[in-house]
Amino acid sequence: MSRGGQNPHGLKQIELDQIWDDLKSGIRSVYRRQSMTRQRYMELYTHVYNYCTSVHGQGQGAGMTGQSMQRAGARNKQRQATGGAQFVGHELYKRMKEFLKTYLINLLKDGQDLLDEQVLQFYTRQWEDYQFSSKVLDGICAYLNRHWVRRECDEGTKGIYYIYSLALTTWRECLFRPLNKQVTNAVLKLIEKERNGETINTRLVSGVINCYVELGLNEDDPNAKGPTLGVYKDHFETPFLDDTERYYTRESTEFLRQNPVTEYMKKAEMRLKEEQKRVQTYLHESTQDSLAKVCERVLIEKHLEIFHFEFQNLLDTDKNDDLGRMYMLVSRIVDGLGELKTLLETHIFTQGQAAIERCGEAALNDPKVYVQTILDVHKKYNALVITAFVNDAGFVAALDKACGRFINNNAVTKLVNNTSKSPELLARYCDLLLKKSSKNPEEAELEDTLNQVMIVFKYIEDKDVFQKFYSKMLAKRLVQHMSASDDAEASMISKLKQACGFEYTSKLQRMFQDIGVSKDLNEQFRKHLQESAGEPLDIDFCIQVLSSGSWPFQQSCGFTLPVELERSFQRFTTFYSGRHSGRKLNWLYHMSKGEIVTHCFKNRYTLQASTFQMAVLLMFNNCDTLSVQQLADGTQLKMDMLTQVLQILLKSKLLVCPDGEDDLQATSKMSLFFGYKNKKLRVNINVPMKTEVKQEQESTHKHIEEDRKLLIQAAIVRIMKMRKQLKHQQLLGEVLNQLSARFKPRVPIIKKCIDILIEKEYLERVDGQKDTYSYLA
Amino acid sequence: MAEEMDVDREADKETSSKPEKMFTLKKWNLVAMWSWDVECDTCAICRVQVMDACLRCQSENKQDDCVVVWGDCNHSFHNCCMSLWVKQNNRCPLCQQEWVVQRIGK
Repeated sequence: MSRGGQNPHGLKQIELDQIWDDLKSGIRSVYRRQSMTRQRYMELYTHVYNYCTSVHGQGQGAGMTGQSMQRAGARNKQRQATGGAQFVGHELYKRMKEFLKTYLINLLKDGQDLLDEQVLQFYTRQWEDYQFSSKVLDGICAYLNRHWVRRECDEGTKGIYYIYSLALTTWRECLFRPLNKQVTNAVLKLIEKERNGETINTRLVSGVINCYVELGLNEDDPNAKGPTLGVYKDHFETPFLDDTERYYTRESTEFLRQNPVTEYMKKAEMRLKEEQKRVQTYLHESTQDSLAKVCERVLIEKHLEIFHFEFQNLLDTDKNDDLGRMYMLVSRIVDGLGELKTLLETHIFTQGQAAIERCGEAALNDPKVYVQTILDVHKKYNALVITAFVNDAGFVAALDKACGRFINNNAVTKLVNNTSKSPELLARYCDLLLKKSSKNPEEAELEDTLNQVMIVFKYIEDKDVFQKFYSKMLAKRLVQHMSASDDAEASMISKLKQACGFEYTSKLQRMFQDIGVSKDLNEQFRKHLQESAGEPLDIDFCIQVLSSGSWPFQQSCGFTLPVELERSFQRFTTFYSGRHSGRKLNWLYHMSKGEIVTHCFKNRYTLQASTFQMAVLLMFNNCDTLSVQQLADGTQLKMDMLTQVLQILLKSKLLVCPDGEDDLQATSKMSLFFGYKNKKLRVNINVPMKTEVKQEQESTHKHIEEDRKLLIQAAIVRIMKMRKQLKHQQLLGEVLNQLSARFKPRVPIIKKCIDILIEKEYLERVDGQKDTYSYLA
Repeated sequence: MAEEMDVDREADKETSSKPEKMFTLKKWNLVAMWSWDVECDTCAICRVQVMDACLRCQSENKQDDCVVVWGDCNHSFHNCCMSLWVKQNNRCPLCQQEWVVQRIGK
């Protein structure tokens, strides 16, 4: 590199003093915000360029202090290594810095005594101008930035900035430091004014905030992009948050003292929104979260107890909007909702209890009232959870828990001291819905109601009890052709299957199938009768053959068919054994029924009667009066059964007996009552017998206990087969868990089942350990 | 209304031919329950009740085809269970007599 009088670009060697005066006046006019022509700007740029590109040889070193001499020495080595390029600029840089300092110190004189809005006016205006001018200056000094400053920075020299950053640090030193307390205070005052409802000039605030953000230079890496927000956080945000806390603490306490909580919630909601908007309009976005946190703490968390107290009141008065508002507020607090959930659960539980208690005994005997009452409560609070608590999982769980509790334990179940009353009533309600009656709802409505039933079903603990009752009633509906709609039946079964799995409904489904098979069978039998020789049957005969094991019917009792029925019976048995082999048929006479026509009364009546009633009445074809013993001999019915059949016939006034219906003896004389009269011509005398109903209920409950024992044992074996060895408590836990979808097993019963399994050698107690079982394969 | 008209018509018939019997049957709806005619309710091979389908048929959803088979010894099993069994051992699992099919349920 030539060190002659000319540098490689052909420029003259230029001393700083040669250009400084002109440059300085130029810069001054920049900071006065005077308009500047393009040429002038270029001129200034060229001054800097010329200075920086001129070669000063010793000149540079001469101006250095001893310390920087050393540094220059070190640098020289490096220069040689990189090809000896030289960068000039330190003097110019120093003068620039000096200039800015002087400019700002003069400026401060105008501002230091100002207060409040005036100081803000001053500060923001000056800042905007200064910032703009500094950007222009940065442009003028672009060459200096690109070479000398860059080089210094690359070498890690502290305290050297790009010119624009230099301007910022200088501002920070000379103007921000002495003025920031005044300015921040003024800003806070202004914000407080706005909080008090006055309109303020937000540009003043945002100007200051912009300045504070801009001033947050990264000290370690002065040229890194983006501010660190240090200045903003320390000098504005912290005092601002403190101020906010103070302001709202005072306001909320004051407001709560004079207003109801519902009003306060509206206020708090509004305040939170305002503060959010405040950040958006004139604060830095990073403040959003911490400001929200402060507000939430002061406005909500501090008053949480009052909120909890009010929550109960709001629930009691069904103020759903306010409940929603409270939810929105409290959900902002970490773990704030716990207490509300507990309160909600307790409330729904007591409401449910109370609703059922109000129905009293009506609910015990009217499944519709009972289920509807439950559904009303559920519907009300489900709507509340969805709208006010936006379907929050915790609140849904609270609703479920409360419903589960009051549905399984309430005034009605207490009345009969039996938790399985709920599933029974629910099953009865299904029967009401699905049974043919004049009140059957439309199909769409029925489907909807069945869905409602499933809501309650979900909460039922003893689902096995429901299954038992449901299958009993389904069986009756199917056998007696009392189903309102096959589609509805199928739909309900599939709903249950969906809720509880295939096994739960397999028997129900089988029953449903059997009815279809029987329909076909009747069709075929009719065809068979037409095709075969021999007389047609003298009665309208219809049969249902059910598969044993799926139907909850008890075996029939002893009975001899009356001769009048025998022919149809014979023809069918022959037909059936021709079609199937290896099967035997059991006759369920107590489920069979028919119609009988009377010829002995004033009108010709058609009586719908059970087979037993038919047999008894047919015996009177030969004789007007028969003793009970004669009837027993003729029908082969057991005496207690016969008595019940006769009692119903006496009650319906078809027969008379001088002994009265309550103490019938074997010798009592039964006579036809020829004066029988009825408004209707078709009379149903086939009413269920008292003992039948009672027995059925008892046996249902007994069966449930038996079935449960089997289910528990099966569960224990399944678990032990998998685990091989298990402690008593763990086994109990797993059994309870596995069966919870069906019913809640009682611990003593589980213990009993474990004993049974030990006896059957499925399990054994582990030697030396009291409470551990192991599985015997 | 309809009922009253019926009364009139039926009353007419009554006067024309008075039946000797006081009650006559019109309709009978009989209910029966069928089961396999077996000595033992459970299939000794798969341990499922013979009224239910064997486990294989249950899982393959062929419940309707799962019938019962009787041997000459009068022991009975699910037909599908037995047909697998005889592939290994052509003796009745209960009495060890040679297995001869007496009849198959239908």
